[in-house]
Amino acid sequence: MVNFKIIYKVIGTLLFIEAAMMLICTGLAVYLGEDDSLAFIVSVFLTVLGGLIFKYLGRDSDNSLSRREAYLLVTLTWIIFSLFGCLPFLISGYIPDFTNAYFETISGFTTTGCSILNDVEALPHGMLFWRTMTQWIGGLGIVFFTIAIIPSLVGGNVKVFSAEATGPIRAKMHPRLGTTAKWIWSIYALLTVACAACYYLAGMGLFDCLNYAMTTTATGGFSTHNASTGYFHNPYIDYTAITFMFLSGTSFTLLYATIFKGRFRQFYHNSEFRLYLLLVAIATALIVTILIIDNDYPFFDALRVGLFQVTSFITTTGIFNDDAAQWHHITWVILSICMFIGASSGSTSGGFKCIRVVMVTNILKNEIRRILHPRAVLPVRVNDNIVPYSSQVTLLAFLAAYVGLCIFTYFCMISTGVDPTNSITIALSCAGNVGPTLGLEIGPTMSWGILPMGVKWLLSGLMLMGRLEIFTVVVLFTRAFWKEN
Amino acid sequence: MKIVIVGAYAIGTHLAKLLSRNDHDTVLIDSDVERLSNISNDYDLMTVLASPSRSKTFKEAGVGHADLFIAVTPDENMNLTSCVLAKALGAKRTVAKIDNNEYFDPKIKEYFEGIGITSLIYPEKLAAVDIANGLKMSWVRQRWDVHDGALTMLGIKLRETAEILDQPLKDLCKPESPYHIVAIKRGKETIIPRGEDVLKLKDIAYFMTTRQYIPYIRTIVGKERYADVKNVIIMGGGATAVRATALMPEYMKVKIIETDEARCEKLNELIDTDRVMVIHGDGRDLQLLHEEGIKNTQAFVALTGNAETNILACLTAKRLGVRKTVAMVENFDYVSMAESLDLGTIINKKALAASYIYQMMLDADVHNIHFLMSANADVAEFTAEPGSKVTRKKVFELGLPKGTTIGGIVRNGEGMLVSGGTQIEAGDSVVVFCHDIEMSRLEKFFR
Repeated sequence: MVNFKIIYKVIGTLLFIEAAMMLICTGLAVYLGEDDSLAFIVSVFLTVLGGLIFKYLGRDSDNSLSRREAYLLVTLTWIIFSLFGCLPFLISGYIPDFTNAYFETISGFTTTGCSILNDVEALPHGMLFWRTMTQWIGGLGIVFFTIAIIPSLVGGNVKVFSAEATGPIRAKMHPRLGTTAKWIWSIYALLTVACAACYYLAGMGLFDCLNYAMTTTATGGFSTHNASTGYFHNPYIDYTAITFMFLSGTSFTLLYATIFKGRFRQFYHNSEFRLYLLLVAIATALIVTILIIDNDYPFFDALRVGLFQVTSFITTTGIFNDDAAQWHHITWVILSICMFIGASSGSTSGGFKCIRVVMVTNILKNEIRRILHPRAVLPVRVNDNIVPYSSQVTLLAFLAAYVGLCIFTYFCMISTGVDPTNSITIALSCAGNVGPTLGLEIGPTMSWGILPMGVKWLLSGLMLMGRLEIFTVVVLFTRAFWKEN
Repeated sequence: MKIVIVGAYAIGTHLAKLLSRNDHDTVLIDSDVERLSNISNDYDLMTVLASPSRSKTFKEAGVGHADLFIAVTPDENMNLTSCVLAKALGAKRTVAKIDNNEYFDPKIKEYFEGIGITSLIYPEKLAAVDIANGLKMSWVRQRWDVHDGALTMLGIKLRETAEILDQPLKDLCKPESPYHIVAIKRGKETIIPRGEDVLKLKDIAYFMTTRQYIPYIRTIVGKERYADVKNVIIMGGGATAVRATALMPEYMKVKIIETDEARCEKLNELIDTDRVMVIHGDGRDLQLLHEEGIKNTQAFVALTGNAETNILACLTAKRLGVRKTVAMVENFDYVSMAESLDLGTIINKKALAASYIYQMMLDADVHNIHFLMSANADVAEFTAEPGSKVTRKKVFELGLPKGTTIGGIVRNGEGMLVSGGTQIEAGDSVVVFCHDIEMSRLEKFFR
């Protein structure tokens, strides 16, 4: 049966970490003397209290985690983190409604970046930084973050890792998971610092550059301005954002091999990376053409906004520098496809992932060849490795679940009266942790505040499932999970 | 010369038989009574019944005085370890049979030499080289290159279309003509031709020529209309098939038919190109062959472990219109039978391995030696040392033993054909064709 004690214990420890994160924002709020200081202090207090209660519930637990508990732990962690994470919004009264506050927080942790706030600029700095912080931690995963800091926290941390990591192939770059986690977080931190420095040099303020850098590398999409990066009207900032979004959408293991081991050949020959690059190139070319023909943009402007929007959507970041609502409808289709596919596995991005597209394409090719050669044994190759048959089945099951989930959400939203174009893009956006939606009712730059309450809860669930790649969450709702041994 | 062989399996026994005939002191070590008793009764050699992994065994067998130590058990690691041990005990040269192509990497090879393994032998690879060469020139039965093709020897089956039939060779091959016929295989007989001999229908003629005249040879034997091999079907996906596909040129599309499904999956891991398709099925299944386009296939290569299957499958393929067939026949008794069935190229790994090991028996002057099983002859390349017999007289005055003929020489990297009046100089690489004669008798001419 499920060993709840260990789960309580781990969650207790994790809540202390969350409290520590909040403390940073508290410090910022108190330092600036803004009106959210008290709300943060109370939230920290409540979070620590929560942590203590969980710790107490999980006292004298044995430190071993089975597969079952790992899945439950990961899902619960994300739910509870978001629950405590919405306290500052609620208490300060900036988001008085619980549904909205929870939605905003889970949108942060899952790096979706859709917001119910109509006016972000009204928030105090501490609150803005808290939003950014949730995305940055959520970028690589809350539990994964913990494994990097306290490898000894969880007994079966490899199981936890596989429950939280994204992508079909989990490559370790070091025999020990703790070391792997440290390396990946170092790369992540390095990217963030480099991105912040570039933003600063391009002319952003200190607070802004930190916020934008953290949400860019997390491929999250929260921003400190209503007009997102478009606020700056600065091509340097746009190109910096494009570069770092693109890098954050690359597999971190691949970046590690390239930067620290100098394997540039591997970088170029990686089939996932090549598809990623190809998709960005094709989508940009199409959008640029449409923008030039349809909206009379000059070439360089078209390239800048086109490339920006494509990288933003394919890396599932969701920041914008132009209002895509004004663009031709075909661009929406292209961007929706980008949203669906997403960037590389092992990065901070969401979506279906390029590597899965590579695999599905190969499976399709083989199926067609098999019609002509019924007895042929055809391998599905990804980077010279053969994908075993069982993984192919898992992959197709995931595709079915992903598409099914999107369609389910789409129908639910239509039945509550949301505009159909919005419905499908919101479904794709949430499942892929992208952020913006495209459509007639809600534009990509607008907030989602007007959605009905039920839909917001549905989307919160969808974002979580999208982040944890569906099965981790769905397995908890099976009878077998709770009943069988 | 004292030779110790470990492992009385196919290659080991075959080698032991060959070597004991040639007056070498041969010791055969194996841990199995039956394998040894099969050979010890009929051949003049010593057998040692003991585990090859024990140093006591090695002392008993006198490995310390061995000039050549050959480890040919099926266990690669045992072969490598026993070679290291033998070298440490004092064996002069060691040969290990391996089944891993990566060991041929120059760095690893150097390392192996450092720890006492002089040479590696990988019979599947030797077979693969022969197969790939044969497919590259589908109209040729056998091809052997000297000095990267400066000189080439071609074994060609003569059919009705050949222009050179029934003419005395003295009219055909003048000293200035661009080829030299070094041997003729007629039925079961191998002839070292003299001026009055003629080529007859269905002979296999061995031509020695230089690279630029290969198309000319193709014309005179009437094989221009042979289609180049583009599509290949290989039956049986063993190690030989894997290596052969790796060696085939890019333009060849290969289908490997394998009966074991797990092996099919494994093949996909081992072979990493898109031009190879692995098919699960039986290569003797006619319907499958039709479905996979046997009509549009130029070469059929049968590489299963079963000689009978290979022979029958090749016959079937011939009947279906495949011009070039290659059969792996491991059973020596079947080789001549397969030849008489006009099966095309016959591959025998044992013979290939044995001929390769011959090289090590002779001194370092022999660079390259190739055993032509069908003609029961060796072609070897010797380097003429300064002051050696061959450099002192013209070729026709040398008095080379019966059954040998000089095919050509490579001087300063350039291939030349040899006539009676040619003077061999020191430093020349001399290609000698010898039928039914021991190589060591030739050595003294070159030293």
